[in-house]
Amino acid sequence: MNPMIASFLVLAGLTCASGLAMAWTKNLLHAALAMFLCMLGLAGLYVMAYADVMAVAHLLIYVGGVLILILFGIMLTHNTRADQYETHNDLWTKQSGRFWAFSISLSIFLGLLWILNRSMASFGIVSGEMQRSSKLTHLGLALLTEYSFAFELAGVFLLIALVGATYIAKHHE
Amino acid sequence: MNDIPLSYFLIVSALLFSIGLGIMLLKRNMIFVLMGIELMLNAANLNLIAFSRQDDQMQGMVFSVFVLVIGVCEMTVALAIILQVYRHFKNIDLGAEKSRF
Repeated sequence: MNPMIASFLVLAGLTCASGLAMAWTKNLLHAALAMFLCMLGLAGLYVMAYADVMAVAHLLIYVGGVLILILFGIMLTHNTRADQYETHNDLWTKQSGRFWAFSISLSIFLGLLWILNRSMASFGIVSGEMQRSSKLTHLGLALLTEYSFAFELAGVFLLIALVGATYIAKHHE
Repeated sequence: MNDIPLSYFLIVSALLFSIGLGIMLLKRNMIFVLMGIELMLNAANLNLIAFSRQDDQMQGMVFSVFVLVIGVCEMTVALAIILQVYRHFKNIDLGAEKSRF
């Protein structure tokens, strides 16, 4: 087994195991920690797919931004009971029927595997040359020339979403 | 060749997508459901990036940048809405007695 495949398998195992841990645990804070590990593994998988720019952007946005946002959300929406102070966290959440969730997601996974198995032969036809170099220059050029309108639109959309989120989160009386 | 086959990426992405769907269906806490949705978005992103490996125009990667932006926007707005729901109902469980969604 060559080292590339071995490191891919380690990263994929980390990602999927922490995803399963997210589904398994009932503690919200443990799930946030598992999501952190999952995002780290996903960034490693992006590196394995020769997308170094996306790996760095993913780490910055998800680990630095979204996860902190989720932790703030957990902190602000936690039912604190003033009469008891405990040193350990008790962020237990409820679950609905375990059977339906498990069976639906398992059947979706098996269906996806079936589709992949059927269409695996057609992937080789469309594939072109493998691009192994760093994609930073190409991605920057593509974003500022060919996709410049969509790029500016995404910026405006982000601004509108952030202003709207702060307006929604305000105290309305 | 040292390249990883495309099917490995697709299998990992299918597994992540179904885990995200399972979390979304299983959990009642709204923040948990949001985390499941983020997992599903990231699974789709992994697919785009894995296919854009063999594309010299990198359309999949540019699209995944926009998916990232949309995911962050969705997260901020949804957390703001969850905050208001918590202020109103003092509870963010889906299907609870106080807040029937």
